Amino acid sequence: MVKVIREADFGQAEECALAVLDFSATWCGPCKMLAPVLEKLSEEMKGKAEFFKVDVDENPNLAVRFAIQSIPALIFLKNGKEVGREIGFKPEAALRSTLESFLG
Amino acid sequence: MTRYDVAIIGTGPAGLEAALTVKARNKSVLLIGPADLSAKVRKAHTIQNYLGLPNVSGREMQEAFLKHLESSEIKITDEQAKNIYAMGDYFAIQTGGADAMYEAETLILATGLPQTKGLPGEDLFLGKGVSYCATCDAALYRGKKAAVVGYAPKEEDEANFLAELAGEVLYFPQYAGEVRTVPAVKVIREKPVEILGDRSVRALKTDGGEYEADGIFILRETIAPDKLVPGLEIEADRVKVTPQTETNIPGCFAAGDIAGPPYQYIKAAGQGNAAALAAVRYLAAKRKQ
Repeated sequence: MVKVIREADFGQAEECALAVLDFSATWCGPCKMLAPVLEKLSEEMKGKAEFFKVDVDENPNLAVRFAIQSIPALIFLKNGKEVGREIGFKPEAALRSTLESFLG
Repeated sequence: MTRYDVAIIGTGPAGLEAALTVKARNKSVLLIGPADLSAKVRKAHTIQNYLGLPNVSGREMQEAFLKHLESSEIKITDEQAKNIYAMGDYFAIQTGGADAMYEAETLILATGLPQTKGLPGEDLFLGKGVSYCATCDAALYRGKKAAVVGYAPKEEDEANFLAELAGEVLYFPQYAGEVRTVPAVKVIREKPVEILGDRSVRALKTDGGEYEADGIFILRETIAPDKLVPGLEIEADRVKVTPQTETNIPGCFAAGDIAGPPYQYIKAAGQGNAAALAAVRYLAAKRKQ
């Protein structure tokens, strides 16, 4: 499952061993396309990675903090520290191997 | 939403021949590209070695091709594919804002070679302020400063659209002739030379000066294939294909100049035919499963 997260409870994501932050917005086409791919991967990686959706319009401070310029943007956090990011839509297989590289 | 059997991107000889072949095989086809055909066809001076059309001019070739399409009842969707998503089971093709979406089970890329090389800094800042689709990313620049580099008059609409949201829009037309933008858009007739920034875009450098911008929109007739289809494998700026025109993405094929040399009209048409047949075979195998 991909959880919706806000600034107030962002600590949740920072505590995870591996968190995937999906910076997106309701009006963004590529984000809409990426959502089902992330949903599927989140089920596959249950217990290994937590997935969070961050709406950039509702959480402008988080968007600034992570210097988000284009969405969708995926940010990977390991214990709160950014270890990588992917900008734009990515096919399922490509994202799976990126995630596996962080789990490795 | 209608899901087409085959979507073909590009209206040069490769795309057109692919469309004719798909149609002849009784599959539904979506053909996206300029309705007056690719610039490389309509602007050609003379083509000497096209079978059946000796010493044909670009104009004559355009006319002959359009007539052939008409007789096969194939319509061109006169739009530009901005983003294509490999969803696994199908391809989603975006031509404008979030609602301008098409779906197809297979995809044939036949968009030709990019006319211009990317600007220094373009790759580096793609997604960090550089974008190829104003209608897709406009809302990120609400109240901010945007620069738009337009390579054709139709991009003026994108600049106008941006002006509704952005604080300031600078428009750099890369073509001659009158520019019809809304008054809020500032037109600057200079040539971009580099994109400057550090973590994200800071400014557009031109042959006339430096212009600060939060976002830079580069709108060309052809989008580089790996930008158009994220995840597509590229080799020396061309899409990597097998002799059967398959790319690394299942169900996605490429034909014509985009798939590498020789850059010949007749080769493009022949490869378009091969791609169409490969797509039809792929569909048959998929449906058997």
